Amino acid sequence: MTTKVVKYVGRTTDFKGKTLWEIVGSLKNFGVGRLIVRQVFNRYPEPSFMKIVKVQTCPDEERRRVRVWVEKTFRGRKLPEITEIYRTSYKPDYQLISKDEEQELYKRLTNEYNYSDVILPNTIEMPPLMKKFIVRDHEKKGLQTLKEFIMPLSYKHSPNRVTRIAKGDEKPTIQFGMGLGKPISPSLYKGVPLE
Amino acid sequence: MLSQRYLLKRGLPMYIQHAEAHRKPRWLPVAKSKIYRIPKRPVVSEDERLELRRINNAYNTQMRAIRRFYVEDWVREKSSLESATSEMSQRLEADEWLKCEELNDKWNKQIASNREERRKKELEAMEEFALLRMEAKDKALKERIERASEKIKKEKELSTTFVTRENLEETIEHVLANPIDYNFAIDSKGNIYEGRDTEIEYEDKKKVEAAN
Repeated sequence: MTTKVVKYVGRTTDFKGKTLWEIVGSLKNFGVGRLIVRQVFNRYPEPSFMKIVKVQTCPDEERRRVRVWVEKTFRGRKLPEITEIYRTSYKPDYQLISKDEEQELYKRLTNEYNYSDVILPNTIEMPPLMKKFIVRDHEKKGLQTLKEFIMPLSYKHSPNRVTRIAKGDEKPTIQFGMGLGKPISPSLYKGVPLE
Repeated sequence: MLSQRYLLKRGLPMYIQHAEAHRKPRWLPVAKSKIYRIPKRPVVSEDERLELRRINNAYNTQMRAIRRFYVEDWVREKSSLESATSEMSQRLEADEWLKCEELNDKWNKQIASNREERRKKELEAMEEFALLRMEAKDKALKERIERASEKIKKEKELSTTFVTRENLEETIEHVLANPIDYNFAIDSKGNIYEGRDTEIEYEDKKKVEAAN
């Protein structure tokens, strides 16, 4: 019997695991009902995993991919709708959870479902040069000058979103500015005058 | 891949712009000496990683806001411009429509007057033509009548010589008494000698007799 030794060559990667087809194709009933983990999501403290609901194989041209529908739990929160995985199914980053470890994940889930309730702001102040430019531009075009130099802020809409975006006049818990902001690691700024 | 020597030896000079002169083309496989190389991952300290992530996130957020602001500004400006131009264009179109109508009416009037004149002329020509035709027909009819009356006259005149029941016997007797012989002879001089049994007097015979 030959041992399965894989020697990796070339660029290193953050991924660790197999492609989804490698896992699902070798399981009974294509692994429906089993749990799967994206390894890169292990960086969050809350558990993230997916439960396979349905599997559809792909034609020969797409042999690295597979179409899988999953019940997704991201950062300890179960998403209300079933997610389809197709575009990312080729990534060699999926890991199968053995049946005896499934219960541990579920236990962690019930224990840890409280991340900080951050409300993101809706608006951001303009940068200083832009303020001056806009004043002059509006004068040139004969428009009314702005009173508040504020721009709307847009975010990506993802079902995975953990933090909430302020609605209407809701007061955000954090504010984004145009400056450098407060550094997380002040050790990098030794001898540099901030502000 | 063309070799450098080949390029230098060519008759015509060829200029190739290299993105990076020392690079291998993308479609060539990994060099033999580099196949089993595992490049070292850059080591970034945790402090630096977190700080960089924060700064980059902030930058992306700021840029997204600026971009969105200007896109919306542009859209607003464009729509206002479009609405203004559409109003302008509508007014212009209405003006042009009126102008076109006026011009059209003018043309129509001119064409109508032309048509009246033409029709008058045509009518006159038709009347003339009809009169001419009528005259010609009258003339032809008259001629025909004249010809017919002439013929009738002739026939009437001829009718006196007709053979009737009354003068049948007489005519028969007359015809029997005067038989007509249509035979004739022509000599080389064109003299016609009527009758089958007519005696012909030849000139040379006369001469001979005269000589005798």
